[in-house]
Amino acid sequence: MKALRLLAVGWYYQFKMISRSPFEGIGQVLYPLFFATVAFFIFRASESPRTLLYAALGSAVMGMWSATSTTAGNAMQRERWHGTLESLVATPPHFGLVLLPITLAMATIGIYCLVATLALGRFVFGIDLTVEHPLVFALAIVAAVTSFGALGFLFAVSFVRFRAAWALGNLFEYPVWLIGGFLVPLVLLPEWVRPISWVLAPTWGMSAIREAALGGSPLPDLLLCLALGGVYVGLGLAMLERVLGAARKRGALSLS
Amino acid sequence: MTSLRIFAIGGLISYRALFYWLTFWIFVPSLVVAPVFQILLFAYIGRSAELQSDEFYVVGNAIQYAAIPALFAMSQLVAGEKFQNTLGAILVSPAPRLPLFFGRAVPVVANSVFVAAFALTAGSLILGIDIPLTSIPALALVIVVAAVSCTGLGLINAALGLRIRENAVLSNAIFGFLLIFTGANIPLSELPDWMRAVSEVIPFTHSIQAARELADGAALGSVIDLVGAELLLAGAYLSAGYLLLRFLEGQGRRHATLERS
Amino acid sequence: MPVVEAQDLHRTYRTSTGTLRRKWMDVEAVRGVTFGIERGELFGLLGPNGAGKTTTIKMLITLLLPTSGTARVLGYDVVKDPREVRKRIGYVFGGERGVYERLSGYDNLRYFAELYGVPPKEIRPRIESLLELVGLKGREQERTEGYSRGMKQRLHIARGLLHDPPVVFLDEPTIGLDPVGARELRATIASLADAGKTILLTTHYMFEADALCDRIAVITRGEIVAEGTPADLKRTVAAGTVVEVEVFGVPDGLVERVRDLEGVTSVSVEEREQAQVLLVQTPTDVELTHTILGTLDGANVGRISRREPTLEDAYVALVSGE
Repeated sequence: MKALRLLAVGWYYQFKMISRSPFEGIGQVLYPLFFATVAFFIFRASESPRTLLYAALGSAVMGMWSATSTTAGNAMQRERWHGTLESLVATPPHFGLVLLPITLAMATIGIYCLVATLALGRFVFGIDLTVEHPLVFALAIVAAVTSFGALGFLFAVSFVRFRAAWALGNLFEYPVWLIGGFLVPLVLLPEWVRPISWVLAPTWGMSAIREAALGGSPLPDLLLCLALGGVYVGLGLAMLERVLGAARKRGALSLS
Repeated sequence: MTSLRIFAIGGLISYRALFYWLTFWIFVPSLVVAPVFQILLFAYIGRSAELQSDEFYVVGNAIQYAAIPALFAMSQLVAGEKFQNTLGAILVSPAPRLPLFFGRAVPVVANSVFVAAFALTAGSLILGIDIPLTSIPALALVIVVAAVSCTGLGLINAALGLRIRENAVLSNAIFGFLLIFTGANIPLSELPDWMRAVSEVIPFTHSIQAARELADGAALGSVIDLVGAELLLAGAYLSAGYLLLRFLEGQGRRHATLERS
Repeated sequence: MPVVEAQDLHRTYRTSTGTLRRKWMDVEAVRGVTFGIERGELFGLLGPNGAGKTTTIKMLITLLLPTSGTARVLGYDVVKDPREVRKRIGYVFGGERGVYERLSGYDNLRYFAELYGVPPKEIRPRIESLLELVGLKGREQERTEGYSRGMKQRLHIARGLLHDPPVVFLDEPTIGLDPVGARELRATIASLADAGKTILLTTHYMFEADALCDRIAVITRGEIVAEGTPADLKRTVAAGTVVEVEVFGVPDGLVERVRDLEGVTSVSVEEREQAQVLLVQTPTDVELTHTILGTLDGANVGRISRREPTLEDAYVALVSGE
């Protein structure tokens, strides 16, 4: 219970902080919108049966993924810049309970991207945004954000030794867009790629969101998405022990 | 002769001095891996939407991605000088401005050419696209002209970067803008009239068209008017960038904003 | 039983130079530090920059692992039970950074209150009273990016006290503060001690240690060179005299020559505006003024005076390794 409240409070204040940075925000929301625009044009001109709503949803989740991938890897480094990393490590809770809310907050910014993309689709391209199962749709979005945050947590822990952590995070932007089933159905990808897609929570989050919107069975995908998120957190926690121990040994907590 | 030396040596030294940040771990992901993924992404989107061929997207994105070094490397160059407070020192030096600045442009152009050429080659190999060997020299020419043209735009961006704080946001916005308006991924016929008009006057549009025709086996002669158009734009953007830089430099001296970070 | 115990703490850092051909060097920042702090004591760790104060304190607050040696806080080992230690200590460090700039002072405290496990019902009243204590009441809703350095410092202290820890570690808390701000902060620290908290304070300001601390350990180059109450330390130099010789330009080798004179306890040079002042410590019964002047042959000499030594002299003598 205490852990849950810690996660919630941590998430709240971190989200508040990130939301208050206009330039970071504008850049993060704006950039995926360009890609969404291209997608809208392409699908509008296309002959395929895939609808513009499909394109809208895919682009929206692409934006959600960008919000996480371009920032989460840098989470620890950010705390170092603020001078708060040491203060955070010096607190009693397990550091995972402190770091996870940070990446969850970063992933939540993705909701701004989602809304912006859908608005672009609705007001500029006139796409009809009716959603079959609105409640499950909303839940699917929450599940996606949570699992993206969990994957971001794994990035944050893995990249902590790299000075250019942000460059590594960016490296994961395009590939996940390509194989996450956002605008490209998995069947079109080479067979050997598909298993990689299957272990990525974004793939299932996207699928859940799409099924909820277009009418299908979103629940299995939603649960799988959350389960994978749990796996990422587990992996991240295991790595975190080693990473922090090494940092305490090397004296690297405040290296800036 | 001095101008030539300033041009060459100044350019080379500044490149090395200011690209210290361009380490292996930044270079490889952003200039080598990312463009290939962008190509794959749009090629597959094209297949998903059943619109155009793989080649359409490979050529379009390979050239469009050359904007990244043109925008970011050039910004870093100018901003880097500002941060290291060498910009003021350079600007008060008696060296003639023109060769000085264009000397700095050359490494950026080279960077862009490399990125486009590599992306085009890699994309073609991965997706199995046949480009006739006879077209390669002409393609090289088209890529160089495109790179020069976009470097001009990069110069304007870098000049603006002297005044605004978050230059990266502007660079990303320009990159996104080019993604849409140059026909890299959207057939120009699909764009509304006003957007098509804008396409005509920005870098890359003509080069991408030319490159696509060349990749299909056309002769250089048939696309020479497109290359010429790009060349004209290159001249226009380079001049505009240079003038803007001089203007802002003058402003900076008047209002002491040069060293402001 | 001491509340804070350090036993023969050692800490070595690995540093490297160069990128292509790395050369690794071992730097011993702390070499065998031992001390104990009793309940309710205000203990000062005094030393110049780079002496190992911050390294020592970081080992005690579990942010750094000692290379060897042990330390316990309230009976808990800092290496084996870091969590138990963290629950019971407050950590305050000086400087501009360390707060979330985009959050208000209140939000900063609220966030950390949660991290320190302050029971929900007590959070609000605790924060209110801490804001009173550090004098930030009325400014807590503003974003900390607008706070002055002194205000940020005070917020640090409030944060360190959120969970009402029995032991508080203060790492150079008044560094960079203006004299008024620093004085107010010292008053706050003194009141914490009066309230019964055990405090470890690191500082390089001698007068600060003298004014606040019950006991002081002087640390230099990773080792403790003296320990005792301020009065004890003063006594080590009370038996002696300081000869002050004003010189204009200190010729090479002069300091060494004077140091080598028989009867000289220590020599140091102080910069005072246009001149340098040679401070020579000798035992009281030794008269060395003429001898000293003899070695100054050729140097430009100004005023000469004799005076009683101060605690500052004791400190300088200790840290310059005499």
